[in-house]
This record gives sequence, C-alpha cells and structure tokens, in this order.
Amino acid sequence: MNVNIEVNGKMIQAKSGETVLTALRRAAIQVPTLCYMEDLLPTGACRMCVVEVEGQRNLVPSCAYPVADGMKIQTHSPRVIRARKTVVELLLANHPDDCLYCVRNRNCELQKLAESLGVRERRYTGEKSEHKIDSSSPSIVRDPAKCILCGRCVRVCEEVQGVSAIDFTKRGSKTIVGPAFNEGLNVSSCINCGQCVMVCPTGALREQSYLKEVINALKDPNKYVVVQHAPAVSVTLAEEFGLKPGTDVCGTMTAALRSLGFKRVFDTSFTADLTIMEEASELVHRIKNGGKLPMFTSCSPGWVKFVEEFYPDMLEHVSSCKSPQQMMGAIIKSYFAQKEGIEPGKIFSVSIMPCTAKKFECQRPEMLDNGIPDVDAVLTTRELARILRMRGIELGALTPEGADTPFGERSTAGKLFGATGGVMEAALRTAHFMITGQEMDSMKIQALRGLGGTKISHVKVGPLELGVAVVSGLLNARKLLDDIRAGRKDIHFIEVMTCPGGCIAGGGQPLGTNLDAVRSRMQALYKIDREEPLRTSHTNKWIERLYKEFLGEPLGHKSHELLHTHYVKREAVI
Amino acid sequence: MTNDNKTILLVDDDIDFITAQKLQLERAGFKVVMAESQKKAEETLMTLRPDLAIVDLMLEYKDSGFALCHHIKKKDPTIPVILVTGVTSDTGLEFDAATQEERSWVKANAMLIKPVRFEQLLWEIEQLLQ
Repeated sequence: MNVNIEVNGKMIQAKSGETVLTALRRAAIQVPTLCYMEDLLPTGACRMCVVEVEGQRNLVPSCAYPVADGMKIQTHSPRVIRARKTVVELLLANHPDDCLYCVRNRNCELQKLAESLGVRERRYTGEKSEHKIDSSSPSIVRDPAKCILCGRCVRVCEEVQGVSAIDFTKRGSKTIVGPAFNEGLNVSSCINCGQCVMVCPTGALREQSYLKEVINALKDPNKYVVVQHAPAVSVTLAEEFGLKPGTDVCGTMTAALRSLGFKRVFDTSFTADLTIMEEASELVHRIKNGGKLPMFTSCSPGWVKFVEEFYPDMLEHVSSCKSPQQMMGAIIKSYFAQKEGIEPGKIFSVSIMPCTAKKFECQRPEMLDNGIPDVDAVLTTRELARILRMRGIELGALTPEGADTPFGERSTAGKLFGATGGVMEAALRTAHFMITGQEMDSMKIQALRGLGGTKISHVKVGPLELGVAVVSGLLNARKLLDDIRAGRKDIHFIEVMTCPGGCIAGGGQPLGTNLDAVRSRMQALYKIDREEPLRTSHTNKWIERLYKEFLGEPLGHKSHELLHTHYVKREAVI
Repeated sequence: MTNDNKTILLVDDDIDFITAQKLQLERAGFKVVMAESQKKAEETLMTLRPDLAIVDLMLEYKDSGFALCHHIKKKDPTIPVILVTGVTSDTGLEFDAATQEERSWVKANAMLIKPVRFEQLLWEIEQLLQ
C-alpha cells in the first residue's frame, strides 16, 4: 500500500512499512548516513541521518523511522543541519589529525561529511585516543584511534560473514571495536576477507600493504620479478581511474604492469583453468570411487580458514586443490623457472588480487616449497592503483598488450572465476566432458548466475544428475553447512566464495562500491564469456601443453606435489 | 626431520611467550636455547653459534633488541635474525624490515609483529634457513 508524505514542501509517494530513509533515497533526496547499511536492519546509532518530522519534539533518525500517511518532513532545515554538524564535530574531537598521511585521504566518509557540512573550526577538543595500531595480521591493519564506532565492520563480520571476529568492547568513552580481550587480529578468528575494510568509513581498517616489498624487489637487479593478476581485477581496476564500472582493462593493465618493470605478466585465469582440470578430475574421482561428497571448492582463502576454524569435521569435503593464485605461484617457480633457466629462489612472484585473504594465504606454511614461498607478495586492486598513480602511469594512454607465455592463453571459463557461480560453471563444463566425452549443449547455466547468496540447482551430466550449490557470503555458507551436517544429501558439489558476489566484490577492490557497480563487473565477465570462442578449460591448448611437457596428468604425481595441499583443524586463539 | 640439529636462540623477557615458543619449536625438530635478557643472550653467544636467532625488541631497555641484533650480526653476519616485537601496539611507532635499506639499520632479516601465530614464525624460519 502506498502512502503520501510531504518532504521539504513536496509530496512524494512511499510504501507503507518502509523507513523514511528508503523513501527519501528513492525520491533522490540525499540524506547523509554513517552507520546505515543497505539490506541490514538499521541500528540508528550515529544520528547522521536525522530529519525533522512535524509534530515530533526530537529529530528522528530517518533510517529507523517508518513512514506514515501525511507525514511532513524537513531533511535540511537549519536545526537538522546543526545537529548533523555537531555529530561530525564531536566525532572529530578525538580523531587523529593526520589526514594527509592517512590511506583514506580524499576517500574518507568522515572527511567528506565534515567538508559538506562546512566544519571549518575545532569547536570541541577531546582527549586523543591512546589506542595503537594492530598490524599483526598479514591481511588487515586495525587502527582503533581512527575508529568512529559506527559498527559497520562489526555487523558485516557477524551478519554477512557469520564470523564475529570483532565486536564492541569496553563501555562509554572507552569503547573500542576489536577482537576479544583487545588481542591482535592475527590470533583471532578473523578470516582476513576484508569486508570490514570495504565498509569502514575512515582509515580505521585497511589492508596490510606490501607495496614496499614489491617496489624494493623491482629495483633489485638480482631479482627476477614476475606478476600475475586475478580474473576479477581487470574489470574493477578501471574504477580507480574514474572509468565506469564494468570496463575491462585487461590489455592496458598488462601494459601498465610491464611499464612498472615486471619481467613477465601472467594471467591467473590460466591457472583458474588449471584448477578446473584438477578440481573437476577430483570431483569425478570422488563420484566414481565413493569419495567424500559434497565436495567444496577451495579457491577462496577466507572460506578455507572458516572451515578450519568453525567446521573442522568437514575439512575432508574441501577440495585438495590449491587456489589459482598458489597454483600459478607453484608452476612459476618450477616449470617456468626450469624452462627459462632461472633459479627459483631468485624469482620474486607478485600477485594482484581482489582480496586481502590472499595475503594470508600466500604466507601459509602449506604454500612453502623447500623454504621457497610459491608467491612472495600479494597486492590488492587498490594497491595496484596506488603504485600506478605513484609512477604516473595513465591506463588510458597505454596500448593494450597480451599476457606472457608459457601461460599465455586462458579460457573464458577461467575468467568467470571472478564472479560467484563462475567456478561452478567452469567446473561443470569440464566435468561434463570428462564424464560423457562430449561438450555441454549450452555452456551457460542460468540458474547459477546472478548475485543471489545461495543458488541451488540440479544439472544433468550424462547419466548422472548432480546437485550443485553456489554460495557467497559466509553466513549463507554456514546455513548450508548446518543443513549438510543435519543430513541433507541431494547436493554433490558446492562452490563457496567468501565475499558476497564473489571476487568482483572482494575485500581488496575499490572502496565505495555499490551493488550496481558489482552488477556491472559481473556483466563484464559474462560478456567476455559470451563473446570469446575458447570457453572451456580442457580445450585450452596451453593447459594441454603444460600437462604434456611437465605435469603429466590431472591428479598425477607432479600435480599432487605442486598443485594440491591439505588443511587441518585450526584453533583460533580467541 | 630436516630441522634436526638446527639450534635457535630465543630471546624474550616474556617467559610465558618463550616457553610456549620453545615447546612448539622443539616439536618442529629444533634445538632451542632460551635467554630472557640481552645480557644473558650475549653470554650465551660467547660459547654458542646458533643457526638462527629470534629476538624481542624491548628487553632490559626499550632498544635492547636492536643492540642485540647488531651484536649478533657483527659477530657473524650469516646468522639470520628475526625480530619479534609488539612495539607498534605499545608505542605506536611503526617500522619494518621489508626493504634492504631498513634491514641495513634494523640488522634483522625479518620482523614479525606480536601477537605471532606459530605457523607464521615457522614460515619465516624455514625461509631464512634456506
């Protein structure tokens, strides 16, 4: 049922039961928010979205106040603006004054609010926060001094990811957000996904940067520095340079990486194809030999840690395949090094990922071969943009270039890894071929596409009917795992991506992302899949060659040594 | 185990921390010698050449760890040193051993920020013992 409300003297329509803020947003009336998160229940904590409602003595938080017929609202009256300004001034009272040095300078919600509300003098001076930086985690840096206690990180960690590694601790003016006992993130149950970083309005949460190590390696004449870039990076990097979401800059990004000084530029989508060869073989093997089913994918390192911590009894269900990043790292320091006659210890292998958990993954002891790590440093999409700006490289001014051999060509199946459902689609294409000897009639599996958090379908593969599930956002995964624990048996293969939407919305992607941008990125990947001819991993000639020259066969001895691993139960200290 | 006969010198004034680390390192196959101060560590170094040293920054003095790293490297530059510190969370100072320049004054091959997961420490050790 619709109701009519009057906003700033104009009538607008609203739906009965919705909040004032939702109605205002639909009518394109801008009301600032801080603690508000779309799709989650409002907390009304920050009071930034207050509006004046006729007949109400106090200002009301529009995010948590339902509309009513005939309601008269002022969104920008002097009283409202004064209240909002005071909120910002109070937040700034104990905020560190180091904007120029802050990673979020010019991209900070608090800074933008202060600017738009005209905060030009310090009216309140509070005691500065004594809390120091927690940089123990290999993925995320936490700086409680910059925290404004909006609680968005706490909510995303609990209500979207189902992890609850951080929460409000202590009381009143001593309140901070952090792991239990204010311990380091390193020993908490944090899965390093970086979704907290994506929602943090200030610089209180940010990625652990490895730019210094990479720049240092690039100038070291004794190092042979190579780089790989993940499938989701080429469709998001453009946004950092003001281009519209969903622009694919794969070619120019390759050129940019070469001009930064990387000797070889590889596309991780190639090893996504390799992952599919191994993973689809593993699935077929499990089905034929009565192995543990359902099988879970293992490309998303946040998810792997999640299972280790919260569902250790289900670790056997997780595929033993390393992620595409680690597979690429492993074959660079073995096959490539051997082919080129370079000592593996001299290679410095960098990867550009949409993900903060990849930084953790490359430092796992399982990913070390004879003391040499598969991947030496991981940069996020944001860090890549930072180094490109630092070096004055304009993406638009470069001519697109192709990736380097011997990992030169990828299928579009590998590229689909960037979006939720992509791994499943790619794996099914190859598993179908492995089981029936024929290609699928239609490569596209519509039921597995889109941004839905849980997508379940049954797919006919020759004589078999496979139950498949695609899940993104770990709270959704938790629900499905609980079902399976309780005896659900109709699902055989499950793809889990830690971040809602998959890597295109990963914790290392450009900040300030909205759902429309994620949708455009997803469409960009689907467009690539639609328009290019090589659509299956098993028909990639370079993959065939890699098996012929080096690996032997999927699940063979060499593959096991380099491309597979195993995970064990993990005790989070707190 | 390949770690057999490798000796690690573990220096920290937090006895609980080094006792826990010692047990885990021994389980990974290392021989471990503990010292709870810079002074004790220097004494140990008179008679022992460890294969690797793990040094806490703040010992008797706030910079004892730096001095100890310096002395170890002066005695034998081939001994890898891992500096383990909670200095960022204690004082707010941030520094690193990520680049050659930084390593040249920090005199450590790697730096880990407390709290440290044991697997992280083992990862660094295995890399440095290459």
